[in-house]
Amino acid sequence: MSRINLNSYQNVPNTWDEMYISEQNLRGQYHRILNYLQKESASDLNKKEELAKRLFMSQGITFTVYDSGEGIEKIFPFDIIPRVITASEWAFIEKGIKQRLKALNLFLKDVYSNQFIIKDKVIPAALIYSCPHFLREMYQLNVPHDIYIHIAGIDLIRDYDGTFYVLEDNLRTPSGVSYMLENREITKRLFPDLIPQCGVRSVTEYPAILYKNLVALSPRAVANPTIVLLSPGMYNSAYYEHTTLARLMGVELVEGRDLVVRDQKVFMKTTTGLQQVDVIYRRVDDEFIDPLVFNPNSVLGVAGLMSAYRKGNVAIINAIGNGVADDKAVYSYVPDMIRYYLNEEPLLKNVPTYSLSDPEQQEYVFQNMHKMVIKKTNESGGYGMLMGHAATELEMQLYKQEILKDPRNFIAQPTISLSTAPCYMDGLLTPRRVDLRPYALCGPDGISIVPGGLTRVALKEGSLVVNSSQGGGSKDTWVLSA
Amino acid sequence: MLSRVASSLYWLSRYVERSDGILRMLKINYASSQDTIQEFTWDPVIRISSGGDAESIAEIKNDSRKVVEYLLFNRDNPNSVINMVTLARENARSVQEHIAKDLWQCLNEYYHTVKDPKLLWYVQKDDPITALDILSKQVMLYYGTAESTMERGESRSFMSIGKYLERSIQSIDILDIKFSSVSDNPDLLLDTSYWKHLLLSLGGYELYLKSYREGFTAENILELVMLNKDFPRSAIYAVDNIQRYFGRLKSDQNMEHYNSLSFIIGRLSSNITYSSVYSMKSEGLHNYLVKVRSELYGIGNLMDEYYFANS
Repeated sequence: MSRINLNSYQNVPNTWDEMYISEQNLRGQYHRILNYLQKESASDLNKKEELAKRLFMSQGITFTVYDSGEGIEKIFPFDIIPRVITASEWAFIEKGIKQRLKALNLFLKDVYSNQFIIKDKVIPAALIYSCPHFLREMYQLNVPHDIYIHIAGIDLIRDYDGTFYVLEDNLRTPSGVSYMLENREITKRLFPDLIPQCGVRSVTEYPAILYKNLVALSPRAVANPTIVLLSPGMYNSAYYEHTTLARLMGVELVEGRDLVVRDQKVFMKTTTGLQQVDVIYRRVDDEFIDPLVFNPNSVLGVAGLMSAYRKGNVAIINAIGNGVADDKAVYSYVPDMIRYYLNEEPLLKNVPTYSLSDPEQQEYVFQNMHKMVIKKTNESGGYGMLMGHAATELEMQLYKQEILKDPRNFIAQPTISLSTAPCYMDGLLTPRRVDLRPYALCGPDGISIVPGGLTRVALKEGSLVVNSSQGGGSKDTWVLSA
Repeated sequence: MLSRVASSLYWLSRYVERSDGILRMLKINYASSQDTIQEFTWDPVIRISSGGDAESIAEIKNDSRKVVEYLLFNRDNPNSVINMVTLARENARSVQEHIAKDLWQCLNEYYHTVKDPKLLWYVQKDDPITALDILSKQVMLYYGTAESTMERGESRSFMSIGKYLERSIQSIDILDIKFSSVSDNPDLLLDTSYWKHLLLSLGGYELYLKSYREGFTAENILELVMLNKDFPRSAIYAVDNIQRYFGRLKSDQNMEHYNSLSFIIGRLSSNITYSSVYSMKSEGLHNYLVKVRSELYGIGNLMDEYYFANS
């Protein structure tokens, strides 16, 4: 039986590797995993890979690709080797995220009420008012406990020296948490006993904490408030996640057509008549949530929902209008927000961001386009990006013209190389780029972050894009207890 | 419970039950097609269990493998097993948080099994019964899992009502078609294998042998399939179960609707209970069966109106 060859692992130059400091020089947190893997042959690991695929398939953790009429079910690629985060790395991340969310939440409260941060000229008014996700409908609307961001999925990346950077805050309807939970379940099956031996902290608390927070936000003081998860329906790519969360929390999964608003109260249509709804964890975007106020063609939302929200008869999670804090141009002001609201220095760094509406910065970006990543300020999921190091001259020219039409819609960031982690591919361990998305939950009792998260991985060699829509996969993410 | 959810649970259960009926019928009829010297006619089977167009049916009806393939895998036949399972699974997908995870996985695997190319190969080139057995096992797994995991509440009541409504309609359809073939061709009345296959396809063969000692007679079969309360696929057993599970939906908020539907179910149950083989025949069996069937359809329609209409 041939043992798997661990010596072939080639660190990518000028890149932080999660497993090796240098060739042959292993980081302590990977010792146990590597010992375990050394006892396995390539065929053992291939079998584990097969088992993982089968488990995802039989549990219906799939998405459908429609091709020539018949839907084809696919699973999101999963790499079997876990990504490991040490206790001290985690402590830092946790502290940094809490600080950031505290400031962002204060920012949302401020920008939708007194706007001190604009009056004090910390953030230009033009930037805020030009953001399409800044919603006048939210102005002076009181949200329960002044919490806007109940769930955040902050994307972290690591540069060549291992420093953590925040890439995006994802304050609207972050997805992927079901993969954090499922990946762990799969790893338990793949590597029996390894999780307790390594002292990996559990992530199972997530649904319980979220549920507790949702109950606490109920506007009616009743013992058992009605909590629903509002989904766009089964053709949404994240539908699996919606059902998983609804099941794990024991709340009703509803679609827009299941709800109705009467006398500024929200009800769901049941077999025994209408039942009042107190809390809505919505996975429908702002734009579609109420056809009377936003997109009038939306059938995913509920007519009149905003009036019930404004009246305080229903809590909506996350709050509507959070997109203004998620705008990639506003993002560059988050360190200033932390200093302004908290009088603290930011712990987690921002990736340096150039605003293309500023003539000087624009010129600099255009001169250095091959070293930049240029993004649209209001897109997510890896769409509409230009990766300068991989783009052709023509692509750059076309993109430039695009930018000049509406510079406010673009930002540029220097290409960050992203750390690598070992992946099992064709019988070998091979480094691939990863990011990390921990999930933070904010309730009236404060912010809690389950120790773990979603590690997304760019499975194509050399690729820096981890989004699942662009050929990315995921890994189980281990946070060690000591 | 949400109206939409109730409706999905009810339909998912109807679709699984219908696929089960088709699988049973196919297995027995395929076996009997291998055991006859005359040309075997698939006509009644196709009439009971497909919604396909007459043309495509005429093309295949004397080719057993093609019929099995048509009833299992043809996407254009609205009642093919693959369509039933797809619909059951789509309904289950939208109510995943109301059924146990195991039950969802069960339906999911049933779906992947039907789609497995190996199964088509069994039907086209190898032994079709192997394919039918593999699928029947999936249905049994579903029933076992549902029985041991479903909470004993509203959701299970809607699923059970769907299941027994579908089952009673199936039994009535089979009786109607089998007995109308007899009136066209009275020789069948004395054809032992004809009645044996009817019983086998309903899973009532053993019970019949234990209950009746004088061989296969049309009257006894009618009595077993309509009136025997111990036979799980008899009309009366199914209707009594509809009544039983419907009774659990009683709630103060919905009294008016509940009472009116309860009345109709009760009337149907009494009507069957106080029928006899003699009274059915004197009324005209076909007329009697048509009447029962339209009552059953009426129950389905009222379920829709009273309980699912909000969806």
